[in-house]
Amino acid sequence: MAKILIIDDDPDMVLAIRLCLEDAGYKIIEAGSGNEGLEKVKSENPDLIVLDVMMDTATEGFQVSLTLRSTDPESEYAPYRQIPILMLTAIHTTTPLRFGPDEEYLPVDDFVEKPLDPDLLVQKVKSLLTAGT
Amino acid sequence: MAKQTPANHPIMGAEPGDIANVTTRLIQIRWGAGILVLVATAVCVHLLGLPLPAHILYLVGVCILVYNAVLVWVARRLYSPKPTLHLRRLQRFVLLQVALDWLSMTVFLHLTGGVSSPAIPIYAIHMLSVTILLPSPSPYIYIALGVGALAAIAVLERMAILPHYTVIPVLPPGLQLDPIYIMAQIAFFTMAATATVHLATLVMTRLREHERQVTALLETTQTVSSTLSLPEVLEHLAISAAKALATSRASIRLLDETGEHLHMAVAHGLSEEYQTKGLVDVSRSPLDQEALSGNVVIVKQTATDQRIQYPKQVIKEGIGSILVAPIIGRGRPLGVLRVYADQPDRFTSGDADFVLAIARQGAVALENALAHETLQHADKERAQFVRTITHELRAPVSGAQSLLRVLLKLRKVKLNPQQRDILARVEARFDFLAALINDLLALAASKTAGFLKTPEPVALQPILGECIDQLAHEISEKRISMAYEAPDTMLTVCASAEGLAQIFSNLIGNAVKYTPPDGELTVHLTQRTGSAVITISDTGIGIPAKDLPHIWEEFFRASNARRSQIVGTGLGLSIVKRLVDSLGGMISVQSVEGKETTFTVSLLVTPLDKATS
Repeated sequence: MAKILIIDDDPDMVLAIRLCLEDAGYKIIEAGSGNEGLEKVKSENPDLIVLDVMMDTATEGFQVSLTLRSTDPESEYAPYRQIPILMLTAIHTTTPLRFGPDEEYLPVDDFVEKPLDPDLLVQKVKSLLTAGT
Repeated sequence: MAKQTPANHPIMGAEPGDIANVTTRLIQIRWGAGILVLVATAVCVHLLGLPLPAHILYLVGVCILVYNAVLVWVARRLYSPKPTLHLRRLQRFVLLQVALDWLSMTVFLHLTGGVSSPAIPIYAIHMLSVTILLPSPSPYIYIALGVGALAAIAVLERMAILPHYTVIPVLPPGLQLDPIYIMAQIAFFTMAATATVHLATLVMTRLREHERQVTALLETTQTVSSTLSLPEVLEHLAISAAKALATSRASIRLLDETGEHLHMAVAHGLSEEYQTKGLVDVSRSPLDQEALSGNVVIVKQTATDQRIQYPKQVIKEGIGSILVAPIIGRGRPLGVLRVYADQPDRFTSGDADFVLAIARQGAVALENALAHETLQHADKERAQFVRTITHELRAPVSGAQSLLRVLLKLRKVKLNPQQRDILARVEARFDFLAALINDLLALAASKTAGFLKTPEPVALQPILGECIDQLAHEISEKRISMAYEAPDTMLTVCASAEGLAQIFSNLIGNAVKYTPPDGELTVHLTQRTGSAVITISDTGIGIPAKDLPHIWEEFFRASNARRSQIVGTGLGLSIVKRLVDSLGGMISVQSVEGKETTFTVSLLVTPLDKATS
């Protein structure tokens, strides 16, 4: 059973994602901040990360993804670089312009928009996990 | 004797354009001179029978014509795109011409009688062109060369090393050997040449001074109307003032909000150390007090003037005199414009009047720039406020929506039909609230300058494609047949990509929303004489004729749309209208109720050559 780490500072959002993914049969780990998330990545070694952009601190989500995907071979997160990241964002609703996954700018594998579309979330999680194996 | 060029005058010599113009004239005159030598020789020798060395004179004439031809050839190859290299080449070219002319004129002088030559005044005239072309003191060196040549001829002829040619037979023979005659000729020649050069220098200096002042005023006036950027206005102003007074240093200090201190706003040509020497406390600076009360103040001797607040630094910076002019806005002083010179007592009352004129022009530009900056700041704050508010509103709504959706989807949650219906209604309400928040943000954005990114050339096709892709899911769900046509060549308009996306996603989104299943939707992009025209047509519910004039109003929804179950805030089209207006575009609508609607947007196309610059 695949293990998924949710990093989000909004407890309602975490609950919604948890319910949705547990219903689809995944094991869930939670983290309420970027730093806690990074700790959990090391201690739990999840199969996939659902990462919120966390607008409250403006750049926290971006920072987490940049840290995890650092190309520095000395990075302590080097062993976790391959874990797929699904980014949760509200940006699409502000501008209809999609800024898609971009290795240079934002090293994540895919996006899901807030508010959550449960079917779409499960579908994206599934395809990322399949692509990873 | 001659007025010395002040050491810190940047260039007193002619500009490249002047040099080129004068050179062209000189070349024309030289053709005439060469031909004149040939014709005059023919007339004097063959018609008048004067005892002149005809063959040598012909040779001189031919030589002049030949080297003039060479000069024409060289002149065409002088241009260089590098301004300094171009100027250096031009200066060398001028020196070459002067040297050749000097040589041919000296030979001509000798052949036409040496000190008794009637051609001596021509030499003085040549001095004029040298004065125009070369910076001081070159013309005086040229006089020395001319006098030297004349004296050398006289001495050599007297010593019988060179032959003497008598042009005017009535002159007593041996006149050219008389020391008094020789000295008188040379002395008068020197005086005439010096006077010519001196007067010409004066005229040229005046002319260049006026030229500089006119340029400075023109630049200041252009600045007033060309920019609203505060740093640019200040920079232009300081440079114009320095240029106009032919110094290299100027600064502008502006009063702070309290009106008690002057802080350095822009400095031109001053050392970092001098710029940061400290705030000027107006109460302790009689100099600035006087200036701020509306008078121009001239510090003639910085070394002894008691009004200077930082005398040591001023002397260390090598400043000899200062001119301080007030910058007065509408009824209130804004700051001071200072111009610095190396030497003491450099500025005249004429300079003072002139800098005051520049400062007055500048004050207008400055006031505009300051007002613009305040407005921009307010806009920025407003934009930030709207962003924060929107996020704060959106986060809880988004959380609630997500929870509701999950609850309605979960397999293990068993809801009875009534519960399910209530939750669905709550969800619909939240969906509406989310849409309202988004539209309010977009509306605020369309009303706030500086919210959207600065317009830049953007291609329309990718944005249209993106907007259609975003709706692909709904389009296929409703089995709407979608047609999108656009030219292969990119059509570029000057706008923010965000704003354009907002316009098209609203219009195409509406079309999808109000078109029943199995309907048709066409998006068409085409170019029509300088405009990009986008038409979005659907076979939807249409807009009643009586509602058409109101559709752009905020919160207005057409009566048939309100009656339908379709959720809408009534803000979308007012957002679209505002955005299209802000881009200088046009939008129109045609509709038949219950049948079809077509929106047409036209935007000015930005040519690609402009787009890349």
